[in-house]
Amino acid sequence: MITLDALREFGADTDRGLATCMGNEALYLRLVSSVSSEKSFDDLSSAIKAGDLDSAFEAAHALKGVLGNLSLTPLYEKASEITEFLRNKTDTDYGKLLDELMSKKDILTDLCK
Amino acid sequence: MKRVLQNARAKRKVLVVEDEWINREILGNMLSEEYDVAYAENGQQAISLLQEDADSFSLILLDLMMPVMGGEEVLKICRSDTALTGIPVIVITQDEDAEVSSIRAGADDFIKKPYDMPEVILARCERIIDLYEQKKLIDSAEIDPLTGLYTRDFFFEYIRQMEKYSDANMDAIVMDVEHFHLINEIYGRSEGDRILKKISSVIMTELRDSFAIACRCAADTFYIYHSCSSDYCMLAEKILGEMASVSFKSTKIRLRIGVNKSVDRNTAPEQWFDHAKLACDGLRGDYTKQIAYYDSAAHDRQLYHERLIRDMDSSIANKNFTVYFQPKYGIEGDRPVLKSAEALIRWIHPELGMINPGDFIPLFESNGLVQKLDRFVWEEAASQIAFWKKKFGFTIPVSVNVSRIDIFDPDLEDRLLGILDKNGLSSGEMLLEITESAYSDSAERLIEVVNNLRAKGFRIEMDDFGSGYSSLNMLTTIPIDVLKMDMKFVSNMLKDDKSLKLCELVMDISKFLEVPVVAEGVEEKAQLDKLKDMGCTIIQGYYFSKPLPADQFEKLIKKETEA
Repeated sequence: MITLDALREFGADTDRGLATCMGNEALYLRLVSSVSSEKSFDDLSSAIKAGDLDSAFEAAHALKGVLGNLSLTPLYEKASEITEFLRNKTDTDYGKLLDELMSKKDILTDLCK
Repeated sequence: MKRVLQNARAKRKVLVVEDEWINREILGNMLSEEYDVAYAENGQQAISLLQEDADSFSLILLDLMMPVMGGEEVLKICRSDTALTGIPVIVITQDEDAEVSSIRAGADDFIKKPYDMPEVILARCERIIDLYEQKKLIDSAEIDPLTGLYTRDFFFEYIRQMEKYSDANMDAIVMDVEHFHLINEIYGRSEGDRILKKISSVIMTELRDSFAIACRCAADTFYIYHSCSSDYCMLAEKILGEMASVSFKSTKIRLRIGVNKSVDRNTAPEQWFDHAKLACDGLRGDYTKQIAYYDSAAHDRQLYHERLIRDMDSSIANKNFTVYFQPKYGIEGDRPVLKSAEALIRWIHPELGMINPGDFIPLFESNGLVQKLDRFVWEEAASQIAFWKKKFGFTIPVSVNVSRIDIFDPDLEDRLLGILDKNGLSSGEMLLEITESAYSDSAERLIEVVNNLRAKGFRIEMDDFGSGYSSLNMLTTIPIDVLKMDMKFVSNMLKDDKSLKLCELVMDISKFLEVPVVAEGVEEKAQLDKLKDMGCTIIQGYYFSKPLPADQFEKLIKKETEA
């Protein structure tokens, strides 16, 4: 079970996340717990693997929005970084960025177990 | 939310359009305490929800980037579909450049992602809903829903605003449809509405490029305020021309247009249109024309007449009306003898001063009020006759006017006899003048009334004889005792031969009817001599005396007793 303390330790801005959820801790934690299974993670990974930067941008953009709203700062910052690269179609190592994002996601997934 | 609205109505409904379920949950959690929340996962879902029941939604929260149909497309539809333009849209965006483009595309506000604090979002939602609801209230009061023209109140408000910035010459135009209520009744309300809409669209088309505004003021009455370019109203002509080519179930509708050219800015806008409406109302029943122009002189006259009508009763009560007496002299002997008098009414108005009888008698004759004046004169004259009779021991008969409308008073006889009785007089002591035109107007009734009056002992003088339209045949059946020659003949008898001949003719008729003639309007000795030669025996006019107040007339009686 995820807790606010654990989330805070993970680097999330839990105060802000909670505030966005109107102080509803149960809702906040439920949403945070389910974020790991967001389809956009899969979409992003397969798009990057396929070299489809447009689709990758859409997925990253969507992820960024959700992660930001939940104030999952470490994930949000990485997602933002990827989104901006993709928006500008910057030639960079997307596989590496994706791995970094995914490893942070895995940490969160573990916390939520 | 304004407390009143909140208490009076159910929760507003907000549509959240967002493809990410987590975001929907977060927004839903924020909004659900204040609002009913509906959700759409993409633009297409949103549009179909909106089109199902647009009126139920008070706000759309719209994410821009979505699969299937994005937010920009939704926004475009919302701003072009008239059923949806009344719903405010707040765009949710992560990108600053999208903010500008969405505001341009018609978004009312935007919310950033990651979301602002809930208080901020809720405040923005509330503010924009309030704004739209107030605007809707104003819109509904501003625009006539049937025709799309302004409502009356806003029309005048906008005129006052226009007046602040322009002093151009302007026309006030009032337009209505003849017998519109009948059109509604015969062809149904929907046909009536169709006509009103057509008129409105013609007005709007004609006004499109003008400095002008228009409203529907009442059922079928339209007001237009329009810059005036020439002496006559092109706009009115154009509207008539355009309407003439439209056919309705009722085949023909007739518009009436009243124009108050170049409004007088010393008076209030409402009055400009009251005046145009006067002109418009003047067209009622006149099928020769459809446009009438307000005539301020005619209107002043009308106002003056209204004043006279309004003041009549109080003037009678306050004795601002008085009766003057003009003597009639018998000229058969060597010396003219005071025979009788005619009672003539004078109105000395407390504010307007002496009013010419020519101003108020025809007016009161036309509206029947003369009946009140006649009764007043009868009372005054009778009491004066009685007063002099008592004072001098003999009767100076006074003739009073019996107007056309009195003839139809079923109590006329009783009324006259009652007045005489009250003053101790007999019916022979007050003469009754009836104008010739009354004879030709309603001959049968009149002859009946006159016969009854004569049977009671009244003597009847036919006034203004020669000016009316009596047929010669009728003359033989008319029961009268005296002919009063129309004064126009007398005043012209020495100037033109025709008038002289007419005087002679009247004299001949009087001989045929075996009644005496009173010549009115005699001013000179030459006229008197001529009339005397013709056999006229009674003379009234300035040659002897103008009409006099009772006290001055009394001196003439005194002189007569001394002679």
